[in-house]
Amino acid sequence: MMIWHLYKKDMQSYFSSPLAYVLIGLFSLISGIIFFNLLVTYSDGIQALPANYSQDISFLEEVVLRLFANINFLFLFFIPLITMKLFSDEKRQSTLDLYWMAPVREWQVVMAKGLSALSLVLSMLLMTIIFPIIIYGVGVKNFSTLGAAYLALALNASAYISLGLFCSSLSENQIISGLLSILSIMFMWMITWGGNLNSNYLVAEIFVYLGITSHFERVLKGLMGTQDIVYYASFIFSMCFLTVKSLGRRNW
Amino acid sequence: MDKILVVDNVSREYPGRLAVSSASFHVVQGSIHGFLGPNGAGKSTTMRMIAGLLPVTQGEITLFGEKMRPDHFALKNKVGLLPENPPLYLDMTVRDYLSYVASIHKVEKVKERTDFVIEQLSLKDVTHRLVGNLSKGFRQRVGLAQAIIYDAPFLILDEPTNGLDPQSVVELREFIKKLSKEKTILFSSHILSEVEQLCDHITIIHQGKIRASGNLHEIHQKFRQGLVLKIGLSVGEQLPDLSKFGKYQSTHHSGGHEEHFHVVFEDDKDCRKDLSRFLVSEGKGLLTIQVESPELEDIFLRMTEKQS
Repeated sequence: MMIWHLYKKDMQSYFSSPLAYVLIGLFSLISGIIFFNLLVTYSDGIQALPANYSQDISFLEEVVLRLFANINFLFLFFIPLITMKLFSDEKRQSTLDLYWMAPVREWQVVMAKGLSALSLVLSMLLMTIIFPIIIYGVGVKNFSTLGAAYLALALNASAYISLGLFCSSLSENQIISGLLSILSIMFMWMITWGGNLNSNYLVAEIFVYLGITSHFERVLKGLMGTQDIVYYASFIFSMCFLTVKSLGRRNW
Repeated sequence: MDKILVVDNVSREYPGRLAVSSASFHVVQGSIHGFLGPNGAGKSTTMRMIAGLLPVTQGEITLFGEKMRPDHFALKNKVGLLPENPPLYLDMTVRDYLSYVASIHKVEKVKERTDFVIEQLSLKDVTHRLVGNLSKGFRQRVGLAQAIIYDAPFLILDEPTNGLDPQSVVELREFIKKLSKEKTILFSSHILSEVEQLCDHITIIHQGKIRASGNLHEIHQKFRQGLVLKIGLSVGEQLPDLSKFGKYQSTHHSGGHEEHFHVVFEDDKDCRKDLSRFLVSEGKGLLTIQVESPELEDIFLRMTEKQS
């Protein structure tokens, strides 16, 4: 019940300002442009190839998976914009004292803020539902791939949000929190790239496991395994745990 | 009288700085207790420790007979805090904000309680306005409303009248007086006349240390430097030699229909009865004779300057 009160307040806060509407609008616009470009590139590619080879280009891989990978890239900027104010702003305005004067635990505040940010991201993703409808219209009826792609985005968004929450709990300055979130997400991507470049098999495997990209790609392709579930769950839990500890720092 | 709050030998250390050092004082039930000190004296830190927002480095704070800790939620619900900067959500309406605070404090009848507090603090006209669009005076009232909405029996008000216009100050003071009929209040302010007007007990803190604490009258007595008398004689008369009553110093001011003499005896003994008889026997026209207490401001300045 307490989490519900906190969640409801955060949702009201998002939608009482233009921020949520601007983000949803901008996100829909950019992802629409990306989808349109991918469709045009795909149809140009098909037309350029001799008729015998045209089946070699998979619509799912060239359009659907690329679209969702690009949306994941958009998260690099959109999610820090959402999470950067969550704790920074409250710290600056001393409103966190309201919670600490009430019977509210740190983890409840972290959960509520995380869930409200995820709800906003999911409502942004809801706007992209038009793409599967168009894809269905052109005759691609592979719903399991589309479901897996949305699941991959939702998992990545949850991981980025948990990271953003932690960054936001570190500073009173929203800009610093936002930049820190962007750099941290980029770092999570670069770990995988580092693994791919490393010649030592064991080190490379560890890097690939620690980076988020390999897990995202597996889930995106519908190959989600136990290691991916464990990875996302432990990543999100660790970030939330660190955020709780960071909020508890006021007691040091 | 019951001690609601006991601060016992409490210290609070920040890295490289001792903000509060071995502070001890108590607050009795039903009183408005003034908490005085210059900027940076440790008032807000002490108040935050009492409210359970900061743990103590050393010592113990007991509230309603229970030890205060930042994780003692039931006890924290018995404390209402209005910090120097009220914790307000500027993007919420007054009603939504107060309902929200009531909800997180698990108030049973949120709507009824919110209506009651809005009525009490005369916030009816601004109830649907955004907190961010309110004047400083109204924001302070909303801040006070959030402190009382869960009906905490002990209130901590950190400079509640700071920066308000005279009209708002008077209204807020009246409201605090009204509140004190049901609640115990720890109240900090820079305006010493305000403290004298509102409080029956005070504590003076300076450089993290408690310099004086207790009943306002007792403190006045304690810091009285000997017996200070104001004597009024008929126009043109002079004060005779009073050395038979002890060592003294006097100053003379002529004014209006009487001669004023400000006499300070080194000895604290009240000799007004004998002195008035003596003056009359000397043929003086004795018009007034009264004991003068030192102003709270004098005591405060003496306490804070002595140590600086």
